[in-house]
Amino acid sequence: MEIKNYDELNSLQLDTLREVGSIGTGNAATALSTMLGREVRITMPEVRIMEYNEAIEWIGGPEEITAGVLVKLRGQFNGIMLSVQQLDFVNLVLDHILERKIMEYSELMELENSLLIETGNILISTFIGALSDLAGLDIRLTVPAFTVDMQGAILAVPMAEYGGQSNYIMTIGGNFICNEKEVPCRLLLSPDVRSLNVLLRKLGVSDGQ
Amino acid sequence: MDNKITIGIADMKLAKGNGMLVTYALGSCIGICLYDPLIKLGALVHVMLPLNMETGRKNPMKYADTGIRETLKKMESMGAVRSRITAKIAGGAKMFETSSESMGNIGQRNIESVHLNLKREGIRLLKEDVGGKVARTLLFDVASGLGCVRSYGRPELII
Repeated sequence: MEIKNYDELNSLQLDTLREVGSIGTGNAATALSTMLGREVRITMPEVRIMEYNEAIEWIGGPEEITAGVLVKLRGQFNGIMLSVQQLDFVNLVLDHILERKIMEYSELMELENSLLIETGNILISTFIGALSDLAGLDIRLTVPAFTVDMQGAILAVPMAEYGGQSNYIMTIGGNFICNEKEVPCRLLLSPDVRSLNVLLRKLGVSDGQ
Repeated sequence: MDNKITIGIADMKLAKGNGMLVTYALGSCIGICLYDPLIKLGALVHVMLPLNMETGRKNPMKYADTGIRETLKKMESMGAVRSRITAKIAGGAKMFETSSESMGNIGQRNIESVHLNLKREGIRLLKEDVGGKVARTLLFDVASGLGCVRSYGRPELII
């Protein structure tokens, strides 16, 4: 049975997506660890299906400024993947690679921006690579796009893209733990509903049995 | 700030006499302030998409066409007169410069739809701050009929 909206997912399907999230985030953590030269672990990943305004509260309020890296997924699986990089995460990366930290996003220069884009791109590519292997799906990624602005508006991008289909947004992901500190990873995968059905079918849980 | 009334995505709220209507972080979405200055009745609707093609139309405020129409209906039922109602709008940005064309520019389509639907309903558009690449928070003071747009890295703008 095909689902028409995210809120129709049953518990087996949610568990399966959580497993996808776990493998994806785990791979992303390994890539980040290699990049930073530090051990990076992950917390229990979660799958959340949230109404728009709930999602914006969950990420920390609409007006908070963050950096966002966006990649679109094409091929057998359509969707948007976002890496929302809040200040803790930005400083984790900047500190280890450039040995500097920032207090505000306005301090970001060309070099820092490139580093954040590339970090987002690596996290997203490894996550999607794992998903693609797991489900046997051919997924193409676009060149990453980057912005620094209010996170409510960044989160609204996948919402608007799939807004005609749903009042909900689905996010999959956990937190990174580095230097004994928990840093929200905020990797958000928003598949369109058709692609979600394809994924569930490929993973053998489309009928919920 | 006194009497602050927050409007979420795909939502609409009204205030009469005084009050500050606020909607946060408009990206490609558009905030539409509709105002009858004589009775000081203001409404702010936060729409996300240009056209309502949903079956059943359960979320009129999510779309520019049904959002504007339903809000006007509501205002008229509270004593507003169509010929006096004016509009101010903000939003319709393109948050990410992406290489793929298939996503289209939802912000631009929203702006066009809001313009079209205001015209169709006979509402004068007084001021706007639309397009570009910045997110906007829109505040509308019902007592004065003035709007204020707040963005990251840009001075506040009165509309």
